[in-house]
Amino acid sequence: MSKKYWQNFGELNHSEAFQQSAKDEFREELPFEGEGMAEAKTPRRDFLKYVGFSTAAAAIAAGCETPVRKAIPYLNKPADLTPGVSNWYATTYVSGSDVVPVVAKVRDGRPIKIEGNELSTITGGGTSARVQASVLDLYDTARLRYPMANGQEVSSLDAFDKMLGEALTGAAVALVTPTITSPTTKQIITEFLAKYPGSRHVQYDGISYSGILSANEASYGKRAVPSYDFGKAKVVVSLAADFLGTWLNHVEYQKGYAKLRKVGEKNPEMSKHYHFESMMSMTGSNADERYTHKPSEAGIVAAALLSAVSGQAISGVSESVKKGVENAAKDLLANKEAGLVVSGSHSADVQIIVNAINEAIGANGTTINWAAPLLTKQGVDADMATLIDDMNSGKINAVLLYDVNPVYDYFDGAKFKAALAKVKTSVSFNERLDETTALVKYILPANHYLESWGDAEIKPGYISLMQPTINPLFKTRQLQDTLLKWSGNATGYHDYFKNFWVAKLGSEEAYDTALMNGVIEPAAPAAGGAAFSNAKLAEATAAATAKKAGGTYELVLYQKPVLGDGRQANNPWLLETPDPITRATWDNYVIISPSLAKTLIGVDIADRQQADQFEVNPGKPVVKVTVPGKEPVTLPVLVIPGVEANTLAIAVGYGRNAQSGRATVGAGKNAYPLAVNGDFNVSNVSIEVVPKETYKVAQGQTHMSYEGRVEVVKEMLLAEYKAHPDEIMEEREKELKPFGGLDKFTAEGTIYPNYEKPGIKWGMSIDLNACYGCGSCVVACTAENNVATVGKSEVLRYHDMAWLRIDRYFSGDPANPDSIQTIFQPMLCQHCDNAPCENVCPVAATNHSSEGLNQMTYNRCIGTRYCANNCPFKVRRFNWADYTGADSFPNNQDQTIVGHLDDAVHMMNDELTRMVLNPDVTVRSRGVIEKCSFCVQRLQEGKLKAKKENRTLTDSDVKTACQQACAADAIVFGNVNNKDSEVSTVRRENKNRLFYSLEQLHVLPNVSYLAKIRNTEMETGGKLEKPEAHSAEKEGAEKKAEKEHA
Amino acid sequence: MSLLRYESQVREPLVTGAKTYHQVTEDIIRPIEMKPSRLWYIGFIISVGLLCFGIWSVTMEVMYGVGQWNLNKTIGWGWDITNFVWWVGIGHAGTLISAILLLFRQGWRTGVNRAAEAMTIFAVMCAGQFPIWHMGRVWMAFFVLPYPNTRGPLWVNFNSPLLWDVFAISTYFTVSLLFWYSGLLPDLASVRDRAKLKWRKFMYGLLSFGWTGSTKHWQRHESLSLVLAGLSTPLVLSVHTIVSFDFATSVVPGWHTTIFPPYFVAGAVFSGFAMVQTLLLITRKVLKLEDYITLEHIEVMNKIIVLTGSIVGVAYITELFISWYGQNPYEAAAFKNRWDLTTPYAWSYYIMMGCNVLSPQFFWFKKLRRNLLFTFFMSILVNVGMWFERFVIIVTSIYRDFLPSSWSTYYAPSIFEVGFYMGTFGLFFTCYFLFSKFFPVIAVAEIKHILKKNGESYKDDMTQVDQQPVEEFAHEHAHAH
Repeated sequence: MSKKYWQNFGELNHSEAFQQSAKDEFREELPFEGEGMAEAKTPRRDFLKYVGFSTAAAAIAAGCETPVRKAIPYLNKPADLTPGVSNWYATTYVSGSDVVPVVAKVRDGRPIKIEGNELSTITGGGTSARVQASVLDLYDTARLRYPMANGQEVSSLDAFDKMLGEALTGAAVALVTPTITSPTTKQIITEFLAKYPGSRHVQYDGISYSGILSANEASYGKRAVPSYDFGKAKVVVSLAADFLGTWLNHVEYQKGYAKLRKVGEKNPEMSKHYHFESMMSMTGSNADERYTHKPSEAGIVAAALLSAVSGQAISGVSESVKKGVENAAKDLLANKEAGLVVSGSHSADVQIIVNAINEAIGANGTTINWAAPLLTKQGVDADMATLIDDMNSGKINAVLLYDVNPVYDYFDGAKFKAALAKVKTSVSFNERLDETTALVKYILPANHYLESWGDAEIKPGYISLMQPTINPLFKTRQLQDTLLKWSGNATGYHDYFKNFWVAKLGSEEAYDTALMNGVIEPAAPAAGGAAFSNAKLAEATAAATAKKAGGTYELVLYQKPVLGDGRQANNPWLLETPDPITRATWDNYVIISPSLAKTLIGVDIADRQQADQFEVNPGKPVVKVTVPGKEPVTLPVLVIPGVEANTLAIAVGYGRNAQSGRATVGAGKNAYPLAVNGDFNVSNVSIEVVPKETYKVAQGQTHMSYEGRVEVVKEMLLAEYKAHPDEIMEEREKELKPFGGLDKFTAEGTIYPNYEKPGIKWGMSIDLNACYGCGSCVVACTAENNVATVGKSEVLRYHDMAWLRIDRYFSGDPANPDSIQTIFQPMLCQHCDNAPCENVCPVAATNHSSEGLNQMTYNRCIGTRYCANNCPFKVRRFNWADYTGADSFPNNQDQTIVGHLDDAVHMMNDELTRMVLNPDVTVRSRGVIEKCSFCVQRLQEGKLKAKKENRTLTDSDVKTACQQACAADAIVFGNVNNKDSEVSTVRRENKNRLFYSLEQLHVLPNVSYLAKIRNTEMETGGKLEKPEAHSAEKEGAEKKAEKEHA
Repeated sequence: MSLLRYESQVREPLVTGAKTYHQVTEDIIRPIEMKPSRLWYIGFIISVGLLCFGIWSVTMEVMYGVGQWNLNKTIGWGWDITNFVWWVGIGHAGTLISAILLLFRQGWRTGVNRAAEAMTIFAVMCAGQFPIWHMGRVWMAFFVLPYPNTRGPLWVNFNSPLLWDVFAISTYFTVSLLFWYSGLLPDLASVRDRAKLKWRKFMYGLLSFGWTGSTKHWQRHESLSLVLAGLSTPLVLSVHTIVSFDFATSVVPGWHTTIFPPYFVAGAVFSGFAMVQTLLLITRKVLKLEDYITLEHIEVMNKIIVLTGSIVGVAYITELFISWYGQNPYEAAAFKNRWDLTTPYAWSYYIMMGCNVLSPQFFWFKKLRRNLLFTFFMSILVNVGMWFERFVIIVTSIYRDFLPSSWSTYYAPSIFEVGFYMGTFGLFFTCYFLFSKFFPVIAVAEIKHILKKNGESYKDDMTQVDQQPVEEFAHEHAHAH
């Protein structure tokens, strides 16, 4: 037995007191201070209870519950629908007569995103801003929700049919539609009209291409528009045709044009683009050489070009235009059968001259393909004029209007309005109570294209099918169903459509495949020219050149590349996307030249102070523009260089009526009525300043020049590039030399350790030669990432939320419009590897992922905005107000004193409109910063897909929304650690053009740019007002670098 | 033979009017025991009104978002951080006076240190409002505290200057408060001992922590003062250094400048002393404390103002020189946006230059240094200038930085930004009015420390001594201690 030690005598003696104390938890008395403690009224335990209770009570009382939105799961899950997994349906975007084959992403039963259909050889997966935004139109709160008669709701479609059956009995019906490209619809219309003797179908396109149609009839014997193959045109001459933005089938042209604009390193060649115009169009801003003339001289310029290509003397044009015409002619003749001349003129005479030029340069049958003419524009002005006369004279008793709005967009809308009042039965199938629909007796709203069956024949044999992606949201019915019903055909349109195509394609399987692919195309593309006749040329030349001087001021009406003809005018995404040239949102305005600005409003934009004052102040002077015989229009002015001295330009598509929607109310003025006989070039205009009146124009960017900051964006001439291909690389090497040079800059440009970046490293490369500034990527980004619409009032306060924007810079001499060069630079989060935003966030809400993403943790963000201040690219966006309704505080969008939110924001927060939100992307609440995530939700999806298939990730697994939307494929994205990925290849093969914006800051961006190459001899560069400062500052930068090294 | 001086004639008496110890107590503590004057009430009501305006402005901002201010995608900080830095700067004088001057044994500090310290605390309280309420989600502000949590744990980002601010400001506030309060203890005890009303006795009894004036208390009190002075001395330099890091460590041209720490500290002392002048000139007048806050005090502080103002001026000119000499085009452009009269914000740069660099130079003239009205005017001017300094640094740097595409539209504050700023004035003066009503605005005990050596009566006595013949003087001197 071991020895036992005792600690005290009590233990030794085993006394009673010891036994007692051994049982106690604390053997000794606890050292309470004083006597009162245990007897206190509030002993320690009670005190703790009180503290606990009061804290909890305070927490409950103060706790603001985040508003709860309930999601209800399916009771019976539809077979082909898995919550959280998207389905993709091929369909066709049809808006007016614009047709683009698309694929709709349907998530949990609702379409949320539109992508181009890559199977279409026409658009090749390209989209435009309007196509991207069209999904929002589906959820437009201003859509009519039920049929109406005389302003009253009609209880059911049957009742409406009955009513109309009576009204139409025996009537001579005129069905007015945009150009119908749908074979089935055409057939249905024919069947329908046959039931009503004396009826007719009038195709009316708000933007008329009547001039081209009649000219082609005269020259080629075909009243049609040929296919223009810009992909084969080494020399493109555009006479004011905005073929990249709005003209004809611009998505197709963007794709084709890009082919010869991307300058490869091995074969540094590119097409040459001459542009002759009066205003500054987006296409013009992309031209290599641009010459301006008065709008009334369009015919003279065309005739001069014809003379030049025919080897005759040129006369009647200004010196600069003469030079341009000569150069263009020289290049066209040097590149016979590889040149293309297009004209945006509404005049058939000018178009006849253009046809003659194209004939002379051998374009017919090469770059102009008559074997597959474009079928989307067939409206002829004369048809509409006749219709109005017949409506007035009572020959037409019933007018059915489908997707047309002549009261708004016909140049003589008032006349149409008066005629419409004389027609006994008027029916509109338009989806909203627009200017025309508001005047008709009967309204049966048609479906949105995403709710419809249908087809479109873009070119003969090139079919794009349309299938619904959602049940009709409202009591609406598509036109084809209605016409079938009214012509007594019991078959529904779906069956009719199916029978039609099954019969055409031969089998149901073929039909299903076609529906799945969305497009039906001929196996071998047809190509060929058409017989040409010069019969009308002399007459046309005489008429076109005889045009008298158009007065001091002339006006050009144009469509904005983003908003187009105004059909989608209630689309907040489109309204808020800045115009490529003016960078203005939400309004139209009068664009004037810098020289006119000097005399008219006393602003000299070459003067730094005046330019500053003008640009920092959104309130712009208001002018009254008067066209003889028309209502004057008062609009604010914007000064844009590159506009012919005395030319004014106003965009159409604005100034809609209040019923057209909550977003478009107050957005600009309607400029369609200013067109004289539908011609968008208007002469003899007068302009006067409305004294003391200003109007605020919301611009997303106010400064014009890049101030010679060649570190931001780089451009060079093709000749320079050919002579010194590695000039940019040398420049970069020189700049970075003190910090390790190009190769070691990453590691040696910092005093901090450099980390390896294994695994995936996401990177993007943007080719500035292929970016035209059209904005489809911007809208795509908005749609994909639930980017908030903030409304005009907030854009005015510089609060726009765009994750991706297209910076536009001008250079050249503002006094000489021909010298103006434009460069577009898509700017998004550069996902810097050494991001300045990351280290300044006090709570680490923004940090770097192992894959090179600069990521934002919204629920960690407390909104200090330090990151935004420290971002050299200014791509971080702060949620200044509760734009999305996602705030922790409910009902706080009703501010009245400061920051009043426009109705457009409330519209975007409507339960209906919110259906467009992408469930994969958090809707950001007020008070947090957000920015481009490289579409991280898509990256995750792509990675998972590759993982499930047990293979490495490939380029096709991930595409960012902007990349996918770009028709010109200017954006390339992928894993740069994979040597075979497209982005690695592009970077490797274009080393000489590659640059990183603000590289010298050592923020190490993951977005690289390829410098813009201009195929011209004109000087490029720098400041708008002082081109010479450019080189001085550059030298300065170099000196600085050297000094720092020393 | 010339007179031997027992007493240096450089220093004028710091307490005038031949005060006795009792008189000192009477003069300073009596206002606490009396009903406040009409002026006090008017001032107090205006202050509370301003405070309410501020509270309303902040409420609107918290409710509806920072969009209630006119900041934008390019200008992330405007009046908010300008005001923050301005107030923090003002909060520098107090601690400088208490701590550094204590360590340097500057007797004159006793007349002004209490009020200056109080001003420091209130100014830091005002300053603190801005970084808190400028947050987009202020209800998540506690994320900036490194507390153990269940999120990983997710820590704060120790790389961020904003986080350094959190530590710097909160430490500074804590130490300043302790310093101020520990200095108050003997005086609060005096108020308690003189109190006739029961509640007054009770309240001041609580506040004075049982101070009895025992030698042990005094000994501990002195040690504590020295320790706190030692602690605060580096803080005086570090706080504004760290505030300047908010800018200096960024990449923004105009912010990214190594000169910022000393330049900010000098500016802070400059504006702090100006604010002390403003307040004390009013206080001495209203509370009739001219004997304690003498022209000598005013002049000494004016000397500091001309010194620090000139340092700041040199810093401005250095910055400007470097922007040219450095040949960094982005930095050059940032500074061109300040000095170039054609740019939109040039006016603010010249206000800054005028108020901060030119105007203090008048203080080279003794006459002006001792002119109360002129001093008051200048003290206001300096703080206007210092406000614009921060505005110039913050706004004119970021409104046009690297990418010309993002250059901003003209920024002017909304009513709520102005309201918030006004509100902090309300907070500041409400606190100051309450302080002047309930606490001795001059450190009674410390005045008594110096009374014997720097009081006018003592000086008079000494002058007599000085004028004695040499033998008598030597005799006196031999027996003096």
